[in-house]
Amino acid sequence: MVKVKNIMTSNVVTIGQNANLVDAAKLLLSKSVRNLVITEDSKPIGIIGERDVIDGIMAKKAKVKNIMTKDFAVTSPNVNFFEIAKVFKEGKTRKFIVVDGQKLNGIVTEMDIINSMRDFTKFHQIMQEVILAIFGLATAFFLFYFSPLGASIFGRA
Amino acid sequence: MARVKKIMLTDEPTLKKEAKAGEAAGLLLKSQHGCVVVVDNGFPVGIVTELDILKNMSLKGNALKRTVDKIMSYPVATMSSSTSLEEALKIIDEKKFRKYPVVENNKFVGIVTKKDIVQTVSKNIRFHRSLQDFVLILFVLF
Repeated sequence: MVKVKNIMTSNVVTIGQNANLVDAAKLLLSKSVRNLVITEDSKPIGIIGERDVIDGIMAKKAKVKNIMTKDFAVTSPNVNFFEIAKVFKEGKTRKFIVVDGQKLNGIVTEMDIINSMRDFTKFHQIMQEVILAIFGLATAFFLFYFSPLGASIFGRA
Repeated sequence: MARVKKIMLTDEPTLKKEAKAGEAAGLLLKSQHGCVVVVDNGFPVGIVTELDILKNMSLKGNALKRTVDKIMSYPVATMSSSTSLEEALKIIDEKKFRKYPVVENNKFVGIVTKKDIVQTVSKNIRFHRSLQDFVLILFVLF
């Protein structure tokens, strides 16, 4: 079964709560990530996304701690993929911080779910082809077996 | 077969090339999907995403006064409203963007997101699979 740890991003970029927002913007850009996690003693205390940073800069706020989301959703590495997918579908949140005990382990966003769903559909499409092929071969064999030529080859009287 | 037209989002904000970055940022924060399409004579020529705004803000100078054609991402990958979802998936695998402006008769009519396409296709496939399994069981029983 697919677990959160199989699809999460484990290289989370972190920032301190006293950093200023322009530095946060630069960090988002240089690391090509969409979210930053704010940690204190390697314990996650908040999260900011690109949208929060834009919002904060437009509203002339200065520091990360003024805009960070403190009531973020938390999950653990061994939670089932479908449980997370369900929460995203309900639209309650768009990202989870993955913690192992108290320690920051990774982050899983709606995009991770969408990407793995895309891989599943590829798998399903291949499975569908395989089933159809087996189905076709079985039918062909069935018809051949009972044809006069098939009867002579398979030695039926 | 399902087409892009069925799942695209209409009533999305657009801006002209001469609009200011500040205006784009304001629209972006109000919009649900995090992008603003830049149109020229009705045709989408670029797209301003959150990333573009951030890039602009991290540059020196008066970020909000720059015009959107200086900060937008272009060229954009567009889809036609009659593109089938299977073709749309191929375009997504190739281009790797998240949002695609939809064009009808050379005019911008809406946005289609990777999320909506993947979710709809996955739902359709699940339905087909169960139908297929059902037929297979009938066949075996017979």
